[in-house]
Amino acid sequence: MISASAALAGSYDYSEVARSVVIAIVASYAALDLAGRVTAARSRVRFAWLSCGAIAMGIGIWAMHFKGMLAFHLPVPVEYHWPTVLASLLVAVLASAVALYVASRHKMDPVEALTGSILMGAGIAGMHYIGMAAMRLQASTQYSPLLVTCSILLAILFSLIALLMAFDLREETRWSVPRRLGSATVMGVAVSAMHYTGMAAASFIPASPPDLSHAVSIPPVGNSAVVIAALIVLLAAVTTSSVDRRQSEDRLRLVIDTLPAMVWSKSPDGSADFLNQRFREFTGLSVEDGLGWGWMKNAVHPEDRAQEEWRTAFAAGQPFEKEARLRRADGTYRWFLLRAVPQRDEQGRVVKWYGTTTDIDDRKRAEDELRQAQEDLARVTRVVAMGELASAIAHEVNQPLTAIVTNGNFCLRRLDGATWKPDELRAPIEEIVNDGTRASAVISRIRGLLMKESPTRTELDINQIIQEVNILLRNEFTRNRVSLRIELEPDLPRVPGDPVQLQQVLINLIMNAIEASSSTNGTPKILIRSARNRDGVLVQVQDSGPGIEPALVNRIFEPFFTTKPKGIGMGLSISYSIIESHGGQLSLESASQGALFQFTLPANGAGVS
Amino acid sequence: MSEPESIVFVVDDDPSVRSAIKRLIGSMGLQVELFGSAQEFLASKLPNLPSCLVLDIRLPGISGLNLQRQLAHANIQIPIIFITAHGDITMTVRAMKAGAVEFLTKPFRDQDLLDAIQHALERDRNRRQQEAELAVLRDRFDSLSPREREVVALVVSGMLNKQIAAQIGAAENTVKVHRSRAMEKMNATSLADLIKMILRLQVPPIEPVN
Repeated sequence: MISASAALAGSYDYSEVARSVVIAIVASYAALDLAGRVTAARSRVRFAWLSCGAIAMGIGIWAMHFKGMLAFHLPVPVEYHWPTVLASLLVAVLASAVALYVASRHKMDPVEALTGSILMGAGIAGMHYIGMAAMRLQASTQYSPLLVTCSILLAILFSLIALLMAFDLREETRWSVPRRLGSATVMGVAVSAMHYTGMAAASFIPASPPDLSHAVSIPPVGNSAVVIAALIVLLAAVTTSSVDRRQSEDRLRLVIDTLPAMVWSKSPDGSADFLNQRFREFTGLSVEDGLGWGWMKNAVHPEDRAQEEWRTAFAAGQPFEKEARLRRADGTYRWFLLRAVPQRDEQGRVVKWYGTTTDIDDRKRAEDELRQAQEDLARVTRVVAMGELASAIAHEVNQPLTAIVTNGNFCLRRLDGATWKPDELRAPIEEIVNDGTRASAVISRIRGLLMKESPTRTELDINQIIQEVNILLRNEFTRNRVSLRIELEPDLPRVPGDPVQLQQVLINLIMNAIEASSSTNGTPKILIRSARNRDGVLVQVQDSGPGIEPALVNRIFEPFFTTKPKGIGMGLSISYSIIESHGGQLSLESASQGALFQFTLPANGAGVS
Repeated sequence: MSEPESIVFVVDDDPSVRSAIKRLIGSMGLQVELFGSAQEFLASKLPNLPSCLVLDIRLPGISGLNLQRQLAHANIQIPIIFITAHGDITMTVRAMKAGAVEFLTKPFRDQDLLDAIQHALERDRNRRQQEAELAVLRDRFDSLSPREREVVALVVSGMLNKQIAAQIGAAENTVKVHRSRAMEKMNATSLADLIKMILRLQVPPIEPVN
């Protein structure tokens, strides 16, 4: 061990030290900046960025190191062996290349991070000690193994930190100058710490004059020149990077604005912070009118706003889709599909929403028309089926009736005649009886056919039936612009019944109500109520139609009685039978100022089928 | 049993209806024959008598309307009265256009059916009588010699004996002989009578040559 007193006492010029730290920070900043560019670029451009970035960053680190060495003053003149200096520069560039390569990969697992930082740390340490080896002075350099190890470990540690920071900051969407400056400062200080530990590891023992071949002394001017050159290189790198970034941003914006789609981004709560040109052009909104919640207020159809729903969707943080009408600049609304995906940070918090808005109006309209067509078809099919059934019934019943009438007529003719014998009337009268029986058998067979599906009785919640029917008829309500009010008493007793049959009754009553209400001027209004009554529940359907003429009130439940031009007069009659078979009662409670139909259902299972 | 004067055919797949109709029509003293399907009817031998067909539209196998068409194709000119338990306007129009006498909806008034049957039989009787007369005329015409037919045709076309003689290259007296013999054979009492007969027979006229 060489005693400290034997070594040459070195001293630091602290202003130079400070300058070296500044260079370290600037180099770090450039490194972070370049990592982002390298990440954003692809293929050859990426290689170019990686190479140039490595050179700029290498020069920066090297300059810092060199500056740090120059800040160290020894009482003997120091010269530098320039080929070794160049070698140290090369090592710095290589180490930077490794760093940029690792930090710009799309994924960085711990092994990669560690390997990268060891390579990078070794590179920096190598550069440092090669640089020190370039010193030519009247002293031999001795190293303290402990501090050397320490400095190498520090280099590796610093490299790891640097890599992690660069990796984290490379996404340019998270780019912010203060954050990056902070990270660059930390990195710069770390680089400096490593450097000065390395410097401290060396002690200089006076010795014979060195071999000064290829050695140069660095005059103060050269000293500054190194610094200035390094800063210029770094500045050039950062400037190029920022110009490139701006260009690629412009390109991206051009793409986003000309894309045949409406593109936007929103903050985590759903307030917009970017709307592309197409969105603004469609809605005719200025940037100010659309941003924040303006897009909702100014473009979304009032009926589709349901802010709570939107907020819930945004709060849930899951990709979602919503259909809504957006107002075009000319005031017409069109249906759109909004699709949103969240971007998250490491903790899984949503930091931004990105989304598109696609015009689905034509599709939606086609769907509506198709649904309408299907409904019409179903209605026609029902009518045709009814017609078929009626004709089958007519045929089956008319045959025996024909025989009965004909035989009856024969008997009458006989009786009218001058002479007749009772015996010749026996056969036709027997046939009349037989055919009468046969006709009634046909009727009961048809009844049996219709009742084939024996009514199912389940304990059901009438409110649920009402809700289901409202869903089934939603289209009808919308099409007829019905203002619908539903007042359901909660916790009604359950009633035994056939859900399908009861739905049928409700659909009948509501469809009648829609038809009646739509026949008058003004908004058709329908009120559906459920309530508890003495022995069960009651349901009311009230419309805003013209009501029912007093003369007709007593006939409306009769089969085949109808007031509609195309009605067949079975709806209310069938409904009446259904409610009757449930042990309840269907009645017309009020016929003036809109009809009010009501049916009751007993809760005690009094229903008979 | 004596030879019936006329006969009514009934095609209906319902035995009760068939039996009741038979009883009703029978009470009017008409002969009735029953069939359960169109095929049965087509398979039977039709007597040469004034007759009509009471036909149900809905039948198993060949439908009533279809049978009407088949009969028309086979040139069987029997008057048809349709009866149906579920007639609609299209069906009625089709049946009537194809020559049906009546279209009755079950259950029908007995008098309507009987009236229709009387009407149909009357129509058939007339047709048969005319056909018989025509057959006689045709026999008479067939008995004419070729020369006599030629002379008759020219007479009917309005030529004088002299002109006919010139056209066929015979003496006027010869033409007169042919003419009077033809009148005799045709049993025609006057020229007008002869012309009427030839028109009914639809003999193609011979154009005079000038």
